[in-house]
Amino acid sequence: MNQIHQAFTIFLSLLVEALPFLTIGVFLSSAILIFSDEQKLIAILPRNPILGALMGSILGFLFPVCECGNVPVARRFLMKGLPTSVAIGFLLAAPTINPIVIWSTWVAFRDQPEIVVFRVIFSLAIAITISCVFSLQKDSRPLLQPVLVKQLNRVMAERSKNNPASSQSEISPLLQSGTFWLDKPGQLTTVEDMRLMTEAVLPSPSVPKRSQLFLENVIQELRELGGMLIIGSAIAASIQTFVPREIILGLGQSSISSIVAMMILAAVVSVCSTVDSFFALSFASAFTSSSLLAFLVFGPMIDIKSIGLMLSILKPRFVLYLLILAAQLTFLLTLSHSYFF
Amino acid sequence: MNPALKIQRFSTRFFFPSLDILAILAWGFLLVKYSFTGELRLLIHPNYFGLVTFTGVVLIILGLIRAWQWGRQLGRRQQSETRDTVAHITLFPRGWASTLLLVSAVLGFFIAPTVFKSQVALQRGISNTLPATQLQAESFQANTKPEERSLVDWVRTLNAYPEPDAYAGQKAKITGFVVHPPDLPDNYILLTRFILTCCAVDVYPVAIPVRLEGDRRQYPQDTWLEVQGIMETETLKANPQTSQKSDSQKRQLVLNAQSVRTIPTPADPYSY
Repeated sequence: MNQIHQAFTIFLSLLVEALPFLTIGVFLSSAILIFSDEQKLIAILPRNPILGALMGSILGFLFPVCECGNVPVARRFLMKGLPTSVAIGFLLAAPTINPIVIWSTWVAFRDQPEIVVFRVIFSLAIAITISCVFSLQKDSRPLLQPVLVKQLNRVMAERSKNNPASSQSEISPLLQSGTFWLDKPGQLTTVEDMRLMTEAVLPSPSVPKRSQLFLENVIQELRELGGMLIIGSAIAASIQTFVPREIILGLGQSSISSIVAMMILAAVVSVCSTVDSFFALSFASAFTSSSLLAFLVFGPMIDIKSIGLMLSILKPRFVLYLLILAAQLTFLLTLSHSYFF
Repeated sequence: MNPALKIQRFSTRFFFPSLDILAILAWGFLLVKYSFTGELRLLIHPNYFGLVTFTGVVLIILGLIRAWQWGRQLGRRQQSETRDTVAHITLFPRGWASTLLLVSAVLGFFIAPTVFKSQVALQRGISNTLPATQLQAESFQANTKPEERSLVDWVRTLNAYPEPDAYAGQKAKITGFVVHPPDLPDNYILLTRFILTCCAVDVYPVAIPVRLEGDRRQYPQDTWLEVQGIMETETLKANPQTSQKSDSQKRQLVLNAQSVRTIPTPADPYSY
């Protein structure tokens, strides 16, 4: 009974500490979702794969969303004609490289600033590497879910039906070859097409309607992410209280097994990246700091929840590639961290 | 109307929205309640009290706005369901997440957070070194009088300058709770306190061994004591709890108790 009470106290403390950060994150991501103008942003983004990957990763500073919010944003980016490298960079790095996550990581690991620094560096490195790999695929359509591609095509077809006046030559290359909107990005007509296309997908609402949507979105995200947080906190609290310390120490002290264990935990637990550092903190006394880093770097990129979300954009095969690449890079980087620091 | 459809309409119009509102309001009130009753001290570091209280207020306001909006929606005969134009991918079946939130908040109202005791301390492994997550002492404070140092100050001082002989003969008066270390003789206790850096998740026990006059059974575990005495050095088993090699010996600081007083559990049992 006593132990259950302890576990409940740990559970409560995790929630109480994490909820403020979750609330801030949800408010910001909803505000961005509803009020921001992505159009201008897309126009100024570089098309070079490495630069694009870097930009995509740093976009997290403008779009402080955690991994649950970034998939819809990345999807809209792709639909608006952003290069794949930028979108993938955003997908992988934005959940970590953003002010709220960096702040909460710093709160949790106040006296180990190196954890914060390495979390940022490793996430950036992995995101850039993977998005460079993906940028070799010039045409993003084969990567995307057929539903998404169909939607793209349907929107364009509808547009041509509505405007029979628009010249066939403008439409047909789009339908025939997917390279069109990635290879000639600066072209005015292309951008216009993309704009009309996404407007058909996402009609831009009026201002009072927007605030209504904002509220709706805040509540929906709070509910979803809060539910996830509760499950995650319950798991963390029970592991901490009920699993015998010898087992945890046995796993946590060797460098390889601790990294693998924490990566698996990160993938299973799916706590939102704005608050996962508190979760990691509960293992700080028993696990090596490299394995905590592995948790903090890998968790926001890949977990059960975000795989589910990614499958709504990318084909399963490419999600698998992403997963394998991210896992290997995380493992290598954190393992080398454990040898050098 | 088809009864199944009726139930579905009822849930989308009444049940789910009210569940959302209740869950958000419950968490808002719980956070505000914790900051008024001071129970927050058992959960998180004082640095974040303001943040938590503010979040509580924001959640209450959010819940109220939502409730008002919902009431207006119900008032309209021809209620138009606000369609989500924002792409949402939900993981939980409808209503589950709010139920989870609501249930945990209600539990939080009825079950007060507990103060961690010897059991947690023994499980986490007591030591006289500071945890990795704790701010290290910025300077070695030699000028504080030894008898004014708290238990945590002693541990900090020891961390800054770990030679036990440097402190031998100094007076000390420290408070903490009793832990009976299983592998030390019967006249030793560990006077223990928890250090909290972020939240109850990382409470970290630190202790100073105390040598008593008689048997330690006169002070059961978890009793809070104020012990006055003289610091001495002794060779004891190193890190009585965490050490894997139980044979290793370590020269360490031990408080030779001269007077021991039982005190009530302090209002803020954790150090920060």
